[in-house]
Amino acid sequence: MSTVKGAATPAAAGYRPHYTANRLRNTLLSLGGMVVLVLLLALVDGGDSIKLKQVLALFAIWGIATVSLNLVNGVTGILSLGHHGFMLIGGYATGLLILPAAQRENIAASARSSLSDFAIGLSVENWARALGLEALAAPETIWARFLIALFIGGLLAAAFGVVVGFPSLRLRGDYLAIVTFAFGEAIRLLASTPMMSSFTNGALGFAGVPTGFGKSLWWTFGLLSITVFVMARLKYSSYGRALQGIREDEIAAEAMGVNTSYHKVLAFAISAFFAGVSGGLYVSWVGTARLDLFLFFLTFYYLVAISVGGTGSVTGALIGTALVVVVRQYGDPLEEAYPLSTWLVALGCVLLATALVAYLVRRHRRTRPTAGPLVWVPLALGAAAVAFGVFGAGATALQREWQGFGMRAITLSILLIAIMILRPAGVMGRREFTWSGLFRERLDEPTDEERRQDAWLTNPELAASLAQGVDDEDDDDGATASGGAVG
Amino acid sequence: MFYLHGIDPSFNGAFFAGAFVRSFQLGSLYALIALGYTMVYGIIRLINFAHGEVFMVGAFAAYFLFSRTPMAWPVAVVVALVVTYGFMQILNFWRGRMTDPLVLAGGGVAFLVVAVALASTRLGWLAAMVASMFITGVLGVTIDKVAYKPLRGAPRNSMLITAIAVSFFLQNFGILAFSNRQTPFRPPSFFTGPLQFGVLGETLYTSWMVVLVPVVTAVLVVGLTLFVTRTRLGKAMRATAQDAETARMMGVNVDRVIATTFLLGSMLAAAAGVMWGMTFGSINQPAIFGILPGIKAFAAAVIGGIGSLPGAVVGGVLLGFLENFLTALLPRTHAFAGITEYKDTFAFLAMIVILLVRPSGIVGEDLSEKV
Repeated sequence: MSTVKGAATPAAAGYRPHYTANRLRNTLLSLGGMVVLVLLLALVDGGDSIKLKQVLALFAIWGIATVSLNLVNGVTGILSLGHHGFMLIGGYATGLLILPAAQRENIAASARSSLSDFAIGLSVENWARALGLEALAAPETIWARFLIALFIGGLLAAAFGVVVGFPSLRLRGDYLAIVTFAFGEAIRLLASTPMMSSFTNGALGFAGVPTGFGKSLWWTFGLLSITVFVMARLKYSSYGRALQGIREDEIAAEAMGVNTSYHKVLAFAISAFFAGVSGGLYVSWVGTARLDLFLFFLTFYYLVAISVGGTGSVTGALIGTALVVVVRQYGDPLEEAYPLSTWLVALGCVLLATALVAYLVRRHRRTRPTAGPLVWVPLALGAAAVAFGVFGAGATALQREWQGFGMRAITLSILLIAIMILRPAGVMGRREFTWSGLFRERLDEPTDEERRQDAWLTNPELAASLAQGVDDEDDDDGATASGGAVG
Repeated sequence: MFYLHGIDPSFNGAFFAGAFVRSFQLGSLYALIALGYTMVYGIIRLINFAHGEVFMVGAFAAYFLFSRTPMAWPVAVVVALVVTYGFMQILNFWRGRMTDPLVLAGGGVAFLVVAVALASTRLGWLAAMVASMFITGVLGVTIDKVAYKPLRGAPRNSMLITAIAVSFFLQNFGILAFSNRQTPFRPPSFFTGPLQFGVLGETLYTSWMVVLVPVVTAVLVVGLTLFVTRTRLGKAMRATAQDAETARMMGVNVDRVIATTFLLGSMLAAAAGVMWGMTFGSINQPAIFGILPGIKAFAAAVIGGIGSLPGAVVGGVLLGFLENFLTALLPRTHAFAGITEYKDTFAFLAMIVILLVRPSGIVGEDLSEKV
């Protein structure tokens, strides 16, 4: 802790001088956090809750995809909706490359394509044999084959990412979003065509992918850590700055010397690579590669995660993923069968909550009257529903059971709409979680100019007037910069 | 078509005539959906991702009115309430300065038709279609009010993400309300009944649906065109599409115009949904029913030139032909086996190519990029 040069007295009330980051403490905290995480994973891995293991593995797998989608959607500001297509490519490629020979022959036998013979030979094991690397073809080195397959799957997805990235050179905004969506869907449709079914086995897909990796916490979290590390470093590298420049103003970025075409395609390629890796892990998690694993709902979930967490923030993407995975995996009670009266009460509670939120928002925004129709309509309906559900619980009509299929997805979409309307920036905004941010420190040394301003602000003569609350007109950022997160 | 001779005896005049009428039928359906996309895009520059799901709701709502099983009384009450509410909404739109007796009378007559025909079974299909259009129109207005209106000034990406969320909501609401399974959709036998006519000495067997769909589409399109060109509200719509800010300053209630746009677009989508079900004899899982027609209709709107009403019709019909006629033209030889499974990708590829080559579409105006 070093105080500002030339500051004779403590700052005026409410003002804190700059502190530079306590790097030793931050490093220790980070190391401690990692140790805690590893211990936690070891605990869960050794524990007997399979559900928890599954949830954490899925969190890591989807986290990789979300963080990579964040590079395009959040950092570069291009709305890409084809992420499930990249995952599909990576997933199918990885699955096919490590699939046991018997399964591959089954696929080829059911397909009608001339590529069947080629598809049978397609595996890392065969390649290792051909190269004379018997050790790599042995059953116990499947992890190495899986890694190679994952890498190849990622590269294949990245190649498609380049293809999808090219329209971004000509198209903007909505048009580009729809083109990426069309690519994503087209990839799925192509995978079901007869030509490709010697690889993909048509719409049915293939089973028998070794599940040891997608369900292993060490593999999934290891790859998630790598992804997060790469993405976090990338965000603050010169590439990341260029991508953020493109997001803010493409023409200005171009004028500043950023090769926007190159950077956009690069963002797509990197994002697609990690999506492919995530797809490979996902296929290994499920044990099968099927077309219905890679529907648009994946991209939708990632969009929810990014929007909830904060567009452009890696930590935000992880927070959002955690939420999505928890709702998805622990949302079973939402979709169970309950008597209609229970549903009525639940609906009433949701309506009452809506009324409360609407009231709070109106009060926060100083909207008069505070209780408009948006407040009293849900309030009245909710109260009626609750009353009806509670007092009518004995009625035979309300004792019929009803199962709420699709409630999880409905919950997530309502959440997304609400977030988009109420807090478009998400939880984290564009900031990242940093220890310095937590302790309200600056990461950089103040410049001489800022030191001068601080000296001026901490002037004892001025401090008296500041304490009295006399507001200076010259209320610029330099005077109020008292740390906070850097982003 | 020299290479077709002697390859397959099924390639004759009747075959091509059949492919032609089916392509036209499919193209009309795409055109109806595409009109909704193009209207909303023209007014608020939003790709309404949820439009495909609105189409789905239209089809399923009609199915529930079609089905002859007696409705449970709570469902009947809800339907009646929704229809009444929709009628009141429409009255609201045309209240005050926007009063247009013609449209008001049309709305009243339509409502009467619904009320009368719901009771009888002879005109049940028409009643179901009109009622479904009303219900779906109200849904479109509600979507606009709940999800899009609070975001008027927000960045375009937020609106797009919200539209995706609405689409996802409706998909899963469909599962919740209609259950996720293939549903038979049986129109009266009069429409599926055989229609045969001779083409170049061959006889083509088809159904009356290939006539009904283009005719209904033509009626709706002409009605829409009349509405847009002849009524005050239509004039307000055109003004808003030109420049919303100036229109607002000129006294146009822009929010009402946008709501009307959603209303009309959703009603057309519902009509398309009903006829889709009647054409193909079934409506499949609500979770996926709207996606493919929706995205293809969007492709049609883009191909024709998004924001332009004639463009949507041209694009829709063109896409119908691209999808149906092209696959029919290809010879049935071993080399082309399974070619029909690629037809869905044609729409996407055509759209991507059109977007890259001429983003303003065939009929659309020049959308030069603004800084």
